[in-house]
Amino acid sequence: MGKPETVRLVSKEGFEFVIDYKAACVSNTIKNMLSSQGNFTETELGEIKFPEISTPILEKVCQYFYYKLRYTHCPDVIPEFKIEPDIALQLLMASNFLDT
Amino acid sequence: MIPGRGGAGGKKRGGHFKIEPFRHKVDLDPQYAEKTWKVLEDAIHEIHNHNAFGLSFEELYRNAYNMVLHKFGDRLYKGLEDTITAHLVEVSKKIDVAQGLLFLEETNKRWEDHNKSMQMIRDILMYMDRTYVNQHGKTPVHELGLKLWRDTVVRCDTIKPRLSATLLELIQKERSGETIDRALVRCITKMLMDLGTQVYCEDFERPFLEASADFYKVESQEYIASSDCPAYLKKAEQRLNEETARVSHYLDPSTETKITTVVEKELVGTQVKILVDLPNSGLVALMKDDKFDDLERMFCLFRRGGVLQGLSTMRDSMSEYLRETGKHLVLDPERIKDPVEYVQRLLDERDKMDDIIKKSFHNDKTFQHTLNQAFEYFINLNPRSPEFISLFVDDKLRKGLKGVSEEEVEVVLDKVMMLFRYLQEKDVFEKYYKQHLAKRLLPGRSMSDDAERSLLVKLKTECGYQFTSKLEGMFTDMKTSRDHMHDFRQQGIDLGGIDLQVQILTTGSWPTQSAAKCNLPPELEHCCEQFKELPQAAWSLEVTETRELSLHCGRPDPGRSTLWTAGPRTLHTVDSRTPDAPHCGRPDPGRSTLWTAGPRTLHTVDGRTPDAPHCGRPDPGRSTLWTAGPRTLHTVDGTHYV
Repeated sequence: MGKPETVRLVSKEGFEFVIDYKAACVSNTIKNMLSSQGNFTETELGEIKFPEISTPILEKVCQYFYYKLRYTHCPDVIPEFKIEPDIALQLLMASNFLDT
Repeated sequence: MIPGRGGAGGKKRGGHFKIEPFRHKVDLDPQYAEKTWKVLEDAIHEIHNHNAFGLSFEELYRNAYNMVLHKFGDRLYKGLEDTITAHLVEVSKKIDVAQGLLFLEETNKRWEDHNKSMQMIRDILMYMDRTYVNQHGKTPVHELGLKLWRDTVVRCDTIKPRLSATLLELIQKERSGETIDRALVRCITKMLMDLGTQVYCEDFERPFLEASADFYKVESQEYIASSDCPAYLKKAEQRLNEETARVSHYLDPSTETKITTVVEKELVGTQVKILVDLPNSGLVALMKDDKFDDLERMFCLFRRGGVLQGLSTMRDSMSEYLRETGKHLVLDPERIKDPVEYVQRLLDERDKMDDIIKKSFHNDKTFQHTLNQAFEYFINLNPRSPEFISLFVDDKLRKGLKGVSEEEVEVVLDKVMMLFRYLQEKDVFEKYYKQHLAKRLLPGRSMSDDAERSLLVKLKTECGYQFTSKLEGMFTDMKTSRDHMHDFRQQGIDLGGIDLQVQILTTGSWPTQSAAKCNLPPELEHCCEQFKELPQAAWSLEVTETRELSLHCGRPDPGRSTLWTAGPRTLHTVDSRTPDAPHCGRPDPGRSTLWTAGPRTLHTVDGRTPDAPHCGRPDPGRSTLWTAGPRTLHTVDGTHYV
């Protein structure tokens, strides 16, 4: 199965976030999932379900992916990535899970 | 497990908010771990059965993640270990069933499967790998997989011996000339390497090396009985190349040096002495026949690491051979009769050995050294060697090098110098060389002044200034003599029709010959006087007698003397004539005068009886004669000059 252009991340509530393959691979977990040798469903469909990550968190995570892609190896001044304190904990858990 | 929080966004209260605790933890503890583990276990089984495509990676990953998060990492790890071990036991049973070549194929297939499964499992359990394993110092999943494979399958009691035996069998087949499935062997050895270098070494390499050693031991016995030296060497080389190729094809590179050492040792090392000493085709025979290729092969093989004392055995044998032939050459009575031939033979022998060393032994210094030592040994066995070498040089410089170009002259002289270096009695050489040089220089017999000087320079370089100082003096004297004679002639002094050639020599430089007092005939005296009257300081006339009746004059000035040589029967000047015949010379320009002196008399041309005193008058057509007693020269009328 060739590398797909985009990947779909589905949140607990069923929201789908369509992001680039490259962005998704910022997360090591997702990267492994997609490039794993086994014939897991994820690789087949190009879609990953996260029944334990809620939508706002997942949204923030996707934003982070792009933030990371944009500013990696960039000599410019890097703007701050704003994280609201009340989602901080959940975001932390999610990112631990996703190895991001 | 991420606790759900309703309305997370709405909790914000001016920077101060509450974080709710997790909800589910306490409830699910007892069964949660087991349940989760069950899910994972099933998944692993599916993977092993190549059924993975129904699974959701995310789900499994999440499960593993949760287990670790909730401190069930131990359970997870242990469960993993058990499952895989059980699975591998099954696998090994299946492998065991297979026979012969299938056995290897089955092993290989299962190994590949195992690798793939492990990779998938590792992906799922990535979180555990990252956190739990590091925290608790356990082996990561991948390595765990290798370890379990090694312990259960490869080291399994039934499989282990079969594995190495089958591999060795295949290699043995190939050595006998059959073709085998190299790729398969490659995979297996690679598997062993992946399991760890130690596994590879222990399970495969060691038995391999042992088996190879035995094989080659036997083979070397067979070969040596059936073939001669060059053929054996060729075969050995071939086997070595074969083994190297084998390593590159399907063994680990680290084995290469080990196996080549084994081959070298067994195939070549044990037979070194025998090969070198083989009567008709060993080292000596090869050298005699100038078999450069075979010698080179022998040299290269013996030089290798596994062959102990290969080169030293060769050197010893060569040294012995040289010494024997050299001794024979040097002490052969036939040879001694002809010194020039003798030296020429030595040179030829040396050239030949030099050639061999250059072409076959890659100019190895130790062999050069052996050659030099052998030559040194036997050249000095014959005490007349220095004399012969000097005679050889003498011959060459007189006539042997006529018409030869300058470079070739240099080459010959260099070779002579090489022989000279071997001499221990260099001063003996100097003595003879001085004598021969005097004989060459005085009558002007040397063919090439340049060659003489060139040799002198070489001697000086070799032995230092002291050694050649006298010889150089001789040359300088010759030059000075010429100059003086030239001056003398310029003066146009009347010498009474006698043409006089004088050489002025430094006392001490020339081979000293004690001379008795010799009375010169009046004409000669007259000449001497004239010569002495050269604007030099006063000189005293000192006449010495030699066995050859050489006459010297000495003068106190820079300590130089003039010399007339007299042979046993003749007085020569520059162009001496044959000793026996009574001659006379006519005193016209360009010719020297000659007087023969018998043991007691000087004769004229008409050869009157020895005893009668004669006389001659110095007019054209007649020569003056003087008889010379043992110590006197008489004139014709019998008056003595004592």
